[in-house]
Amino acid sequence: MNNRVRELRGNNGWSQAELADRLDVSRQTINAIETGKYDPSLPLAFAIARLFGESIETLFNPDA
Amino acid sequence: MRAIDKRSAKSRQKLGETFYSAVAYMATTFVCVWLLKHPLSDSGTSVRAVVSLIPLIPIGFAIRAVIRMVRDGDELERRIDLEALAFAAVAIGMLALTLNLLMSARIIEISANMATVWVLPGLLLTYACAKIWARSRYQ
Repeated sequence: MNNRVRELRGNNGWSQAELADRLDVSRQTINAIETGKYDPSLPLAFAIARLFGESIETLFNPDA
Repeated sequence: MRAIDKRSAKSRQKLGETFYSAVAYMATTFVCVWLLKHPLSDSGTSVRAVVSLIPLIPIGFAIRAVIRMVRDGDELERRIDLEALAFAAVAIGMLALTLNLLMSARIIEISANMATVWVLPGLLLTYACAKIWARSRYQ
């Protein structure tokens, strides 16, 4: 699944570790989500969307 | 240097606890076996029972560290732990079955004492190796 997490993290000037701490997950989880190797659970996807002020639909694209 | 988040730092600390506990288990096992074979060979049953159970203490700490590591992990870490534990359980089970079949056919001979002593350390070691493999799949 394609997503815009890396792009939005970059726009906020956060490192993967900083984003991981804000979401209370490991840096590895952020890296796996950004590279598309891991699809987050619904609660985590909502937490990411809420943090960036976006909707899940604009953040994650299941068709890609 | 790559930044480390709080969760990864905690996870590494618990992995270290597991490793040191496993080393302590092996050391206490060798010491206790030596004590039971030599200085305490003629001791009473209660003394021999207490000494023989000493290795359970460090292995208990190792199991506690693994449980805390799995419980405190995030969703991806739990998935990795589950994959690694499942692989380790199946691998050790298959190894035990293979050895048992070879022993039944009298191709190899292993004492039951040696075989049972190595089950838990083998499981923990295989879990650690499987975790490295499982983690690499998400990097």
